[in-house]
Amino acid sequence: MTEKEAEEAPRIGVYVCHCGLNIAGTVNCEAVARFAATLPNVAISKDDRYTCSDQGQELIKNDIKEHNLNRVVVASCSPRLHESTFRKACEDAGLNKYLFEMANIREQCSWVHIHDKEAATEKAKDLVRAAVAKVALLEPAIETEVPITRNALVIGGGVAGIQSALDLADTGYKVYLVEKEPSIGGRMAQIDKTFPTMDCSICILAPKMSDVGHHPNIVLLANSEVQEVKGYIGNFKAKVLKKPRYVTDECSACNDCTEVCPVTVPNEFDIGLATRRAIYTPFAQAVPSTYIIDRGICLNKEGIMACDKCIQACERKAIDFDMEPEPLELEVGTIIVATGAEVYDPSSLTNYGYTRYQNVITSLEFERLINAGGPSGGNLIRPSDRKIPESVAFIQCVGSRSERGNPYCSNVCCMNTIKDSLLIKEHWPDVEIHVFYVDIRAFGKGFEDLYTRAKEEGVIFTRGLPAEIVEDRKTHNLWLIGENTLQKELYKINVGMTILSIGIQPCHDSDTIQRLCTLSRTLDGFFMEAHPKLRPVDAPTGGIFLAGCAESPKDIKDSVTQASAAAARAGILMAQGKVSVEAITPKTIPENCQLCGLCARVCPYNAIAVDKERKLVEVAEAACAGCGTCGAECQFEALHMRHFTDAQIMSQIDALVEEAPDEKIIAFCCNWCAYAGADFAGVSRMQYPPNVRIIRTMCSGRVSPKFVEHALSRGVGAVLVAGCHPGDCHYINANIQTRKRVEKLWKKMDRLGVDKNRLQLLWASAAEGEKVASKAKEMQATLKKLTPEEVEKGKQAFAGS
Amino acid sequence: MASGGSDSMKIALIPKEIREKTKSCFECGICTASCPMAELLQPHYNPRILLQKTLTEPEKTLNEDTLWLCAWCYKCYERCPQGLKPPEIFQLLKNEAVKRGFLEGFERAVSKIADVPLSVISLYTCFHPERANISVEKVAEALQKAAIIEEQIPGKAEANQRKKIAIVGSGPAGLTAACELAKAGYPVTVFEALPQPGGMLGKSMPAYRLPRKALESEIQLLEDLGVNMRVNQKVGKDVSFEQLWRNGYKAVFVATGAHKSRRVGIEGEDTKGVVDALEFLWKINMKEKITLGRKVGIIGGGNVAVDAARTALEYGAREATILYRRSREEMPANPWEVNEAEEDGVKLEFLVAPSKIMVKDGKTTGLECIRMELGELDETGRRTPIPVEGSEFSVELDTVIVAIGEEPETSFLPREIELDRGRVAVNPITMETSMKGVFAGGDVVTGSATVIEAVLAGIRAASSINQYLTKLKLEGGAY
Ligand SMILES: Cc1cc2nc3c(=O)[nH]c(=O)nc-3n(C[C@H](O)[C@H](O)[C@H](O)COP(=O)(O)OP(=O)(O)OC[C@H]3O[C@@H](n4cnc5c(N)ncnc54)[C@H](O)[C@@H]3O)c2cc1C
Ligand SMILES: Cc1cc2nc3c(=O)[nH]c(=O)nc-3n(C[C@H](O)[C@H](O)[C@H](O)COP(=O)(O)OP(=O)(O)OC[C@H]3O[C@@H](n4cnc5c(N)ncnc54)[C@H](O)[C@@H]3O)c2cc1C
Ligand code: SF4
Ligand code: SF4
Ligand code: SF4
Ligand code: SF4
Repeated sequence: MTEKEAEEAPRIGVYVCHCGLNIAGTVNCEAVARFAATLPNVAISKDDRYTCSDQGQELIKNDIKEHNLNRVVVASCSPRLHESTFRKACEDAGLNKYLFEMANIREQCSWVHIHDKEAATEKAKDLVRAAVAKVALLEPAIETEVPITRNALVIGGGVAGIQSALDLADTGYKVYLVEKEPSIGGRMAQIDKTFPTMDCSICILAPKMSDVGHHPNIVLLANSEVQEVKGYIGNFKAKVLKKPRYVTDECSACNDCTEVCPVTVPNEFDIGLATRRAIYTPFAQAVPSTYIIDRGICLNKEGIMACDKCIQACERKAIDFDMEPEPLELEVGTIIVATGAEVYDPSSLTNYGYTRYQNVITSLEFERLINAGGPSGGNLIRPSDRKIPESVAFIQCVGSRSERGNPYCSNVCCMNTIKDSLLIKEHWPDVEIHVFYVDIRAFGKGFEDLYTRAKEEGVIFTRGLPAEIVEDRKTHNLWLIGENTLQKELYKINVGMTILSIGIQPCHDSDTIQRLCTLSRTLDGFFMEAHPKLRPVDAPTGGIFLAGCAESPKDIKDSVTQASAAAARAGILMAQGKVSVEAITPKTIPENCQLCGLCARVCPYNAIAVDKERKLVEVAEAACAGCGTCGAECQFEALHMRHFTDAQIMSQIDALVEEAPDEKIIAFCCNWCAYAGADFAGVSRMQYPPNVRIIRTMCSGRVSPKFVEHALSRGVGAVLVAGCHPGDCHYINANIQTRKRVEKLWKKMDRLGVDKNRLQLLWASAAEGEKVASKAKEMQATLKKLTPEEVEKGKQAFAGS
Repeated sequence: MASGGSDSMKIALIPKEIREKTKSCFECGICTASCPMAELLQPHYNPRILLQKTLTEPEKTLNEDTLWLCAWCYKCYERCPQGLKPPEIFQLLKNEAVKRGFLEGFERAVSKIADVPLSVISLYTCFHPERANISVEKVAEALQKAAIIEEQIPGKAEANQRKKIAIVGSGPAGLTAACELAKAGYPVTVFEALPQPGGMLGKSMPAYRLPRKALESEIQLLEDLGVNMRVNQKVGKDVSFEQLWRNGYKAVFVATGAHKSRRVGIEGEDTKGVVDALEFLWKINMKEKITLGRKVGIIGGGNVAVDAARTALEYGAREATILYRRSREEMPANPWEVNEAEEDGVKLEFLVAPSKIMVKDGKTTGLECIRMELGELDETGRRTPIPVEGSEFSVELDTVIVAIGEEPETSFLPREIELDRGRVAVNPITMETSMKGVFAGGDVVTGSATVIEAVLAGIRAASSINQYLTKLKLEGGAY
């Protein structure tokens, strides 16, 4: 299609999708299609069972050709799901893909108003009317392509990060693997054996770690920290600080230094069950194997050399106290986040006496205790007297599935306990083992077999968690008091040692990575995927992928599977070598520009430059992310926000308030958080009042005050502006402008005597569907109190906006 | 009946939010294993099962006697992984049962409670039928029906044991142990520092909660059982601890409660007009004359603070304001009591901490305070209050009642008895202390708690003392 054609009078085709009964069960799709046919510029209008199917797409393609359509609207699911599908169909039929628009009548209509068919149908009509109004004003656009840097950054060197790095490196890409600890390996390096196969964990991990260390395509940056990530898909710039080890690569890991070092502290790797020196290696198989000096405890402080024992002992002269932190700037095309997870700290559950009773330990401590490389040389001993206990108990779900801890199931602790119980039985068959549980979750391949085996071996499974652990102060044995909920009897059981099966929780510093990579987190704190089913390893931000426990609690197999998937996804992008940037960047209109420079000031990416001399404002397209904050700031209509122009958004507002404006709520939702949150409310079938009409913008920063004023001047009941939580903005911090503008509007409304409750601001993440739904309910309540006089006042106050 | 019908009933019985939250119960059994009543009435009372029943068959629970057997100690809530509050959920159904006139369950419950020592006392102080609008008369009637009183005059128990037992303290823990051991045939002597037996029940508990008659008749029952009640005998003063052994006692049960009021530690605390809550309540109970100002401030947020505030209003104060440094959610006081106090006219001020008593001419004129805000969670799982800078203010007060907690007084105990953060350390299963032959229970072990927990401690101790004296191995391990 040529530009000439697009400029012709719009001939719009509208397709209303039934989505089986997903939409048609609530919305009368035929009626909506009939209604659409009456709208201006609509050439044809149809309803269809599954528009996204091949047949559905064929229908659109044929109609484009046959009826000479130059605009298409599909009313179906969320554009976040199928916009690209339909855009492609248009393109196949020769129509520029920017001449397509979607009306979201599933996630934001049929699924959230299940019980009000009539209102849902009316809403669907409104949404179609708005889409038709917008599509008529859309302009064709050609996307620019940017090259993709063929390097990858992997953050986190647990088994997931290791797997991703190796897969990418083997494919031929250069990989930077950043690990904050002195060695890679993560949790898996700490575990003794792994379920369900009972392999020795470090024996299968160590070769992979060593591969990472030697791979020509991998740059391993251990003891390092990602400090900044800038740029966009294909073109990220990451600042990494490589912290000094004070030991050079000359180190041959001979261990001579640690023998002479006078400083001893508990070893983190053995969770304090063993000790290390100030100069140390975290564990025997560590990669890099180069030792490290913990300057926090080394006797040499701030230039004063009080001790040189290790320097003397080191024959290879590998110790260098003058080593400086090394700031690195990496250019990468893709990023894989594999920062793993931490374990729950049970000390707050005082009834279990963890830290108070020596013989109450956590499952992670147990892994170290029973490990041949661990502090007890692999002997099952209990801390109080270093003897083999006659009996042990495991308590499940500690810190998981509860309001007091984390609400979710930690996924691995049931199988971990079964594994541990079998390990004990293997070496010390006479030890009596009790497992106290609520549910045993043994759902994976080979898991049930292992569970059965544990029972056959005589492990006693009791349903019902201990309410309290009481220590016998003389013997340090433990009494477990609880209720056997199957037998409905109280129990009081004496054991020599108790292992708390602690859950897995997000890293305490995961908000840093979240901010750096503009990720989202689900309510449980783990990183959120772009789509739970269809894009499970993509982050919502293009070019970034997730692997391992950073995304959710999972076992090693699932972590590795996901890591390989993430590597493949990143690899696909890099193999293509280029990526097209959506044509949603602004174009300047020099005639209108007053060179005030406001746009440049609010741009989070510094993508706008004001050239006073040449009297020009220039947009650096490659740097611009398309948030539209500049467009909302410009008072002189000198910025034309492509695909989200003022005129297009105004036309949507007009279309939505054509009927009964005072009963409606116009909600401007940002694409990444609030709109996604509203979609999530739909997926979860949360019900809210049907009078909410959502207009999607890329960022809440696009919402110009004049949109709000225009809506009020048209007598709309209420307006909602919704975006990502401050700090979670997908355009660095553009939503700061959102807040400023809304606050200004509130003041103005106050001044003009307009009820400022009619304008609401909401921060909702993509996971907070509930927040969107309850805001809608809350605003509905305000609407009910709205008087015609008040509506009129608003109309007058903002007349002409 | 069609399931739709019973479903809508469920909605009517328990508000939706509470019902939804209750569904998070995953039946771990922690509540039941923490519940004193579940242990006392094993296996009849099981809060976990009852809670499930309120969800699945709410209608049926209305006639259950178990609905009335919760003693409001909140032990279950303290540990429930889901933070559920069974007593409050049960209360909703009790209200409904009374509304529909279903009182049989209650009556059966009273006869069950009769199996618990100090049943009449606990009926008043723990089970709170009045919260479901059951009148005092109805309670008395139910007691009559259950024939608790007649049944409990078994006369002097046969003294078939020769080993003497000393019980120090005559609160519910001491009285319960005395009762159980006397029934088992032991010669029991109770040493009580105060002129009257009963512990906190007689000393500071407001008479509106526990009729004095009920307390007196329970004590009479014990004396009838042959328990030797020696009042005005403070161990450590009137008789030394060591002397007990010399006087031939073979086992000692320490049940001296928690009677040392914590001090706020601010300037002016020793001024006239500043009183500690226990003493204030005691004087009222002793019918001593007290001079209360018009405006009374109560520092604290526990049950004692609430009782003191209500009592102050009852005894002439125009205004009684509770000043608490955290928010309402964190108040350790029973929410029921707090609501009732508010209905009585008690005012509540949250997030304030006193910084100085204001004094003029040697008299209290007011309190300087500072506003607080809630910070991070502390080890008790509550958010720590932190002062807001520059938020100082003052309130005019004539009397300040300090009720920020009570701690045990343990200086009279021999050194061999180990303490844990100021409280006597015991094995909570056997109640044995670190000293052979010495057992302890009640508030002296737990810090201020509830009557029902003290009763349970008395029962556990009695059983252990019996085992100890008959040379059985203690079940539940050594101290
Ligand atoms: C007690 C216990 C027993 C288990 N037993 C088994 C078992 O028997 N079988 C099984 O299959 N699974 C088991 N698991 C689960 C298994 O440990 C995990 O599946 C696996 O470790 C996940 O790997 P990961 O790479 O995602 O995360 P992790 O192993 O947690 O690794 C994450 C890595 O990222 C690093 N990192 C974190 N943040 C940053 C940052 N900001 N910058 C740089 N680096 C960072 C960390 O230092 C760490 O090295 C067990 C888990 C526990 C807790
Ligand atoms: C104002 C107030 C209201 C309360 N309301 C309730 C309520 O409604 N419901 C509820 O369940 N709980 C309530 N409680 C708590 C309850 O009273 C206590 O938990 C319970 O009484 C503890 O019993 P105890 O046997 O451990 O100790 P106490 O009842 O305190 O008895 C200890 C006894 O030991 C005596 N004593 C101390 N030292 C010595 C010594 N050296 N020699 C001899 N005798 C000594 C004391 O004089 C006292 O009589 C209330 C408490 C207070 C203060
Ligand atoms: S210089 Fe530091 S690291 Fe080296 S031996 Fe001395 S204390 Fe240990
Ligand atoms: S895996 Fe098992 S122990 Fe772990 S949280 Fe889930 S149910 Fe509980
Ligand atoms: S403690 Fe809580 S979760 Fe466990 S059974 Fe009781 S009410 Fe349910
Ligand atoms: S409040 Fe106390 S008596 Fe009532 S159910 Fe809970 S633990 Fe049992």
